[in-house]
Amino acid sequence: MILSVASGKGGTGKTTVAVSLALAAGYCQFIDYDVEAPNAHIFLKPEVKNIKKVTIKQPYFLTETGKDFSKCAQFCHYNAVAVIGNQVIFYPELCHGCGGCILVGPEGAVREKEVEVGQVMKGLTPPGIDFISGNLSPGSMRTTTVQNELEKLINKNGIVIIDSPPGNSCSMVMSVKNSDYCILVTEPTPYGLNDLILSMEVLGNLKIPYGVIINRDGIGDSTLEDYCRDKNIKVLLKIPDERNIAKSYSEGKTLIDFNNYYIQAFKKILKEIENTINNN
Amino acid sequence: MKQLTIISGKGGTGKTTIASNFIKLAHDHIAVDTDVDAANLHILLKPEIEVKKDFIGGAVAKVNDDCITCGKCQELCRFDAISDSTVKIKIDPLKCEGCGVCEYICPTGAITLVKEKQGQFYTSNTSFCKLIHARLNPGAENSGLLVTTIRNIAEDIAYAENKKLIIIDGAPGIGCPVIASLNGVDFALIVTEPTLSGISDFKKIYDVAKFFNIKMFACINKFDINLSNTAEIQKFCTQNNISLIGKISYDENVPKLLSQKKFIIDSPQNPAAKDIIKLWENFDKIIYE
Amino acid sequence: MKICITSTGTSLDSNVDPRFGRCPFFIIYDTNTDTFEAIENTSRQAMGGAGIQSGQLIASKNVEAVLSGNFGPNAFRVLQAANIKMFSNVSGTVKEAIEKFKNGQLTETSAPDVQSHYGMGRMGGA
Repeated sequence: MILSVASGKGGTGKTTVAVSLALAAGYCQFIDYDVEAPNAHIFLKPEVKNIKKVTIKQPYFLTETGKDFSKCAQFCHYNAVAVIGNQVIFYPELCHGCGGCILVGPEGAVREKEVEVGQVMKGLTPPGIDFISGNLSPGSMRTTTVQNELEKLINKNGIVIIDSPPGNSCSMVMSVKNSDYCILVTEPTPYGLNDLILSMEVLGNLKIPYGVIINRDGIGDSTLEDYCRDKNIKVLLKIPDERNIAKSYSEGKTLIDFNNYYIQAFKKILKEIENTINNN
Repeated sequence: MKQLTIISGKGGTGKTTIASNFIKLAHDHIAVDTDVDAANLHILLKPEIEVKKDFIGGAVAKVNDDCITCGKCQELCRFDAISDSTVKIKIDPLKCEGCGVCEYICPTGAITLVKEKQGQFYTSNTSFCKLIHARLNPGAENSGLLVTTIRNIAEDIAYAENKKLIIIDGAPGIGCPVIASLNGVDFALIVTEPTLSGISDFKKIYDVAKFFNIKMFACINKFDINLSNTAEIQKFCTQNNISLIGKISYDENVPKLLSQKKFIIDSPQNPAAKDIIKLWENFDKIIYE
Repeated sequence: MKICITSTGTSLDSNVDPRFGRCPFFIIYDTNTDTFEAIENTSRQAMGGAGIQSGQLIASKNVEAVLSGNFGPNAFRVLQAANIKMFSNVSGTVKEAIEKFKNGQLTETSAPDVQSHYGMGRMGGA
């Protein structure tokens, strides 16, 4: 089963939950889809086996041929190419690497080279967690390109735990869309609730069943929990707000390191979700 | 007129908390909430919407019945957006980047790039200043475009009304919307936390922000949770020309105040309130030097 | 000759807009005939590419000089390649700016003035 962990609001505890699930499963595939700010490796501490570059092909223009490249400038939907007289000005940070320049430009006068936009790291965390993490190179905007590489590595045999980026836009959708179930991690505040409702809309559109984990329980009131009850949304777990948990997290320790009780709690959640998926 | 963007790399470090309290402390300013798919500033600021407009996002390719399933588009699509189907090919709108290659190559003209409404943006009034904010439809793309749109509006108003400062509440991460929120600003305030995750993301956002040649500030939220990590952040700031202008204490009252939709600085007896006021004073001192 | 002024509105009484690339309108003024046209800047929402598009637009209008508040590095590259003179720190109304230009009161800009602008090509990646 493919299980994603997401949250509209940042900092609610997605990685904390995803990591705990992986440790409870023991044998699984873990994929950190938060390629802009990946953190799971800090907690799962995988032994790194392999790092592969993610690249796109970007054009370069043989202006010495004296040919006319203005069609490339006109075609580009991202304003990455400007042509003034016989000069071509190329803006690599705006280029998506679509290959349009080669198609519409003067034949043979537009070539391409590979440009790195990120990396995919593979590793192993005992007892048997196949760890995969994407990382976007600072300055690049090709988040979904890196995420696309992760998608190719999903191993549908067994349990897959996906740690999503925060938010409700396309990078979050990329992470959750292949999952059989999504856990939404939230906090019992108006901000948590506001963003939870938006996340639920995304999952509803994708027809992915979901449940909620309330983290930092106690910092707010019962509004969020009441909302879940009213809408028949399963609250899978409530993790209390404790300074000691925060301190432990700050040191790169997992919830399970903090208190072994959580192994049982997350094993139970895995079972529950498996049943929910099988019943659907 | 100066512009400040508040960023973090890591989500949940306290950008919106700080942005909202700055908004209460500043004068002659405008605020922009660029966290367009999970906007929170409006919860505290309670804006009255004056102008509402539709956000038309970037184009997405659509195929009609003239498709002869020749597969040329699929061959050339670099984004894995096109797949086989029975009667005609299928274009995945999530993966489609609107590059126009498929539209160009299609022999029957069956593919066209279509722009669609992807959200809304608002110009609103609050008790403190105008707020420009938006709502990106759940699951939508082009957040960078929407951020640029609302920032343009804020700048238009700021120049027309002679405002001194635009306070931009940034999105988490380091991608498109964050980059769009840093374009052309004068200052970036990185809000971080003394956790290993926070430090890792702090370094990543720093790597992005430094290309903009902006004056960088930093502030460590809940600094006393882990003093050794705080010291590490302090060292990094010193080594990299980032002015550390604030350290905010871990304060149990803060979550309660936030839940009650109150401003931290309205309870000045709390340690966090004092620290935020000090942070603002440090910032205010520097910006017009 | 034709000159371009970045403007907040469509008339000569509009204020000069300080942003090349993100201004709402361009006023193209012909100093020989004293006529002008106002063009809406449809590129202003473009992420990072606004200056590039605007630069190409202005270049296509046979403009010889641009008057604005500041020019980012993207726009600067394009306008420089097109041999269009740039004048920054221009303020007041469009009419006032044109007068100052005619009277030779404006100084030409030799380098981009807005430093913090995306797209200087210093980033290795894409």
